[in-house]
Amino acid sequence: MSDTQPAPGSSGSSGSSGSSGSSGSSGSSGSSGSAASAASAASTAGTAPHTGRGPGRLLVAIYGLLALAATGRSVLQITEYFDRAPVSYILSALAAVIYIVATVGLARGDRASVRVARIALTVELIGVLVVGTISYAFPSAFPDKTVWSHFGSGYGYVPLVLPIVGLWWIRRTSAASSTAEVTTP
Amino acid sequence: MLQPLTVALLVASGLLGVLAVHHLVRRRLVDDPLIITGGVIELALLVQLVVGLAKASAIADGAERATFIAYLFTVLVVIPATIYISIKEKTQWAMAVVAGGALVVAILVARLQQVWSLNV
Repeated sequence: MSDTQPAPGSSGSSGSSGSSGSSGSSGSSGSSGSAASAASAASTAGTAPHTGRGPGRLLVAIYGLLALAATGRSVLQITEYFDRAPVSYILSALAAVIYIVATVGLARGDRASVRVARIALTVELIGVLVVGTISYAFPSAFPDKTVWSHFGSGYGYVPLVLPIVGLWWIRRTSAASSTAEVTTP
Repeated sequence: MLQPLTVALLVASGLLGVLAVHHLVRRRLVDDPLIITGGVIELALLVQLVVGLAKASAIADGAERATFIAYLFTVLVVIPATIYISIKEKTQWAMAVVAGGALVVAILVARLQQVWSLNV
């Protein structure tokens, strides 16, 4: 019994694994490209495509820092010397709120949060472009600097580059997760 | 403000940055030397907070003093946040976050020194 049991067991397992392996590779050859891209995206972004994992951690960290900086600055501006440039300081506060929303949305990474983050980043990008343009065309409109004036030059143009990178990252992760959802069933 | 402390903080955050980049290149994750370096920096930042608050009245301008105090508190957040992320994240991006955090601490410490020297 002991010498008959291993023989069929080993032959059966080797036969089944060989056949399933060959059929599996040939059967999924059509979708192997998308599966591989989804797998590579998943490996860089953790177990599943998530806006707050992998490279997303750095993005969340930078957004968190900007949220902190913008909040601190606008609280200071509004409490200490609001009369100096009210429009600039209201804009700073608005930017701070947007950065907080973007940070939380990207860090949470579920479908609704990512949608909110995408809106926040779009508003941010438009804000940087509009305020940046106005600050160059009509310098008198913003007597004191905001995060967005001169396209964020005071912050190393990070406020201009960040929403573009962020929107690209959201596109990438949502594309990867949608292909993953298609291939899993 | 307290020049030896500022210099020590800049050196320590530089060391943390070098460690993080080293780990990033060697594909290592967070380990004891990294956390200990971060902890030492955080302690030094707490000392800086106490010294800074004690000396803040030397800055005559109210808005500048508020900026100074805001920086003293803000800089405390960076290291715990980056170490937390580096423990949670299991790819090399964790070390990129720590390296960035070290840079930010150095910039904030330098800014603190700048605000101090311009107003005293």
